[in-house]
Amino acid sequence: MMSHEPEPSPTTCGAPLLQRGFDPYRDNAGTLVGIAGEDFAVIGSDLRLSLGFSIFSRDQSKLFKLTDRAVLGSSGCWADCVSLNKFLEIRLKTYGFEHNQPMSTKAIAQCCSTMLYSRRFFPYFAWNILAGIDEDGKGAIYSYDPVGNFERVPYQAAGNSGPQVLPFLDSIVGKKNQSNPDKAPITKERAINLIKDIFISAAERDITVGDGTHIIVITKDGLEEIRLDLRKD
Amino acid sequence: MFMTRSEYDRGVNTFSPEGRLFQVEYAIEAIKLGSTAIGIQTSEGCVLAVEKRVTSPLMESTTIEKIVEIDKFIGCAVSGLMADSRTMIDKARVEAQNHWFNYDESMRVESCAQAVSNLAIKFGDNDDDGTAMSRPFGVAILFAGIDEKKGPQLFHMDPSGTYVEFLAKAIGSGCEGAQQALQEKYHKSMTLKEALKEILVILKQVMEEKLGVDNVEVATITKEAGFHMFTKDQVREVIQDI
Amino acid sequence: MSLCPDLPRPGFSFDNCKRNAALESRGYKSKGFVKTGTTIVGVCYKDGVVLGADSRATGGNIVADKFCDKLHKMSNKIFCAGAGTASDCDKVTEMIRGQIALLELNSGRDVRVASVVRIIKQYLYRYQGHIGCALIIGGYDATGCHLHSIAPHGSSMELPYLTMGSGSLAATAVLESRWKPDLDLEATKKLVRDATAAGILNDLGSGSSVNMVVLTKKGNETFYPYDIVCAKGVRSGLYDFPSGTTKVLRTKVIPYEIEKVEVRGASEEDEPMDI
Repeated sequence: MMSHEPEPSPTTCGAPLLQRGFDPYRDNAGTLVGIAGEDFAVIGSDLRLSLGFSIFSRDQSKLFKLTDRAVLGSSGCWADCVSLNKFLEIRLKTYGFEHNQPMSTKAIAQCCSTMLYSRRFFPYFAWNILAGIDEDGKGAIYSYDPVGNFERVPYQAAGNSGPQVLPFLDSIVGKKNQSNPDKAPITKERAINLIKDIFISAAERDITVGDGTHIIVITKDGLEEIRLDLRKD
Repeated sequence: MFMTRSEYDRGVNTFSPEGRLFQVEYAIEAIKLGSTAIGIQTSEGCVLAVEKRVTSPLMESTTIEKIVEIDKFIGCAVSGLMADSRTMIDKARVEAQNHWFNYDESMRVESCAQAVSNLAIKFGDNDDDGTAMSRPFGVAILFAGIDEKKGPQLFHMDPSGTYVEFLAKAIGSGCEGAQQALQEKYHKSMTLKEALKEILVILKQVMEEKLGVDNVEVATITKEAGFHMFTKDQVREVIQDI
Repeated sequence: MSLCPDLPRPGFSFDNCKRNAALESRGYKSKGFVKTGTTIVGVCYKDGVVLGADSRATGGNIVADKFCDKLHKMSNKIFCAGAGTASDCDKVTEMIRGQIALLELNSGRDVRVASVVRIIKQYLYRYQGHIGCALIIGGYDATGCHLHSIAPHGSSMELPYLTMGSGSLAATAVLESRWKPDLDLEATKKLVRDATAAGILNDLGSGSSVNMVVLTKKGNETFYPYDIVCAKGVRSGLYDFPSGTTKVLRTKVIPYEIEKVEVRGASEEDEPMDI
């Protein structure tokens, strides 16, 4: 008769398997929003770094300026975000030395993906949005999951408030489910104001969003930075 | 103590008192025994042509492969020890694919030459330092391709790993005569068609055997079509023109 | 089978406990209860007690209510500030308030703070911490002013100043540095405001505004809010849709047919109702 007892694991020689809790990830929260336009891209992050109910910093931007035409936003486990961006910086520099040109936004997008996927079985706990200008001068937003799946999208929201913000972007920027939407591409001013309003609203309902927001506008002329205070509670 | 040249040309990593690496210099000399290969860069694209030494009528000439594709927009013409060239071509191909994998863009011609150059200087007699070969590679390579920003480019690399960009370059046994001829004929406004014709005219002059469809290889690399290896019929067409 | 279904029995229903245990044994992970953050503060002063609370209610990372009331009235001169599971605090205080009202009516006296504390702690002890109430009870009675705290398991203590909830660490820092015996009313209100505001600003579970109640022998004085620490952000854009944004796919009119119209006038026979 077949026994219902599980077969002893060969590694433990029949002794009960002892599992130690190993939880190296910390969720430091953070919210990212990116919108691509015809000839610009805007990306914003909140400035609050937190863990649980505690605030670690009220002035920690999650945006990393990679080149003068690409900015990466990273949120999640802050240690992983910093580590990932340090390695990415190394890749950008060595690429510059080896190929005598700065890395294009498209190349950075692919490079980020391979770097994330290289840690497929011990991933970086980081949600990323890459914003930049592509080779044709068009605004680009690339959205990632923590293991490197990526996609070029017109707009994206990620991080703690991502699930709340994305439907709003779908409605206002994507104009989904509207029968006669205004097809005109979004202007730079509108995109900036939209991101400001999104963070003001997110701070109302998400406890991890607050203190301030850092917005970077990427155009062919370089990066323009905007900071805005948010509620501090 | 060691006065003669022959005593400093044993170790591949030993400089002579005059500051020369004889083994590398010999390797460069070895190229001059190889078959002639010519490359021309025009604003429309690059042309590569090589002679194939068909030493016996029983030889299957198509198995001699001296022009190869590295990536869609990079091609190589080689001269020297063919066996050595396989290692370098493999390296170039792997690097090109790696670059595409990592960056989703085609590798630059110069970067490709740089990658192969890194391999070319990895020679030595140590077992444990990751050397590729115990001696310098006995090949010279012409890298021809399209750079996304700079357009068509032609690079020449010798066994020392030195690579230099050329507008037109000849390597191999007939290189001296061919290079002289290239210098006379080359001009900046050359079209691809003119270059194609010129390259075969020059090759014909420096070849010992009579130039025919069986003993030359011709390829072009253009922005539109990428690497294109000429079929025998296409080669015949060009030969009829000259 | 009776025509009338049985009325549910009073008290808690434990019907689903066995089912939940069975589900859990088969690998279904229970979601657990929502942890709520709060800052509540109570301070005694020479004439009475001041209680303060923030006004944020949370469910996970989401703010469920920006202006919730965490100060519960137990009697005219006794208030109770609640931290922990929102529904437990609401229900326990509501229930005990009923008992206290009856007690006051039966005895014809104002109930004492100690009595309220005793009733609540005995109730909470029976449930061994499963009712997640962390309370601060303050008030004025025949024996003077008192301030107590009760932990979910039923233990209590009486102190001149107290704070509870996830923001208690921030609030304690303010109280420890600034509390003195026999402060006057304004200084006490300022202290309670600042302690609560410290929780609001530094604890993610607390937020919005400070609510306050002052309890003296004269009764209670409430401030809803006493101070708005963090006001609502002002958006620059308008996000309404032009009419016609939602497409009309189909229109069907169901007419409401009036068969007969009858207007009945007031007759002599109808008698006016007495008041």
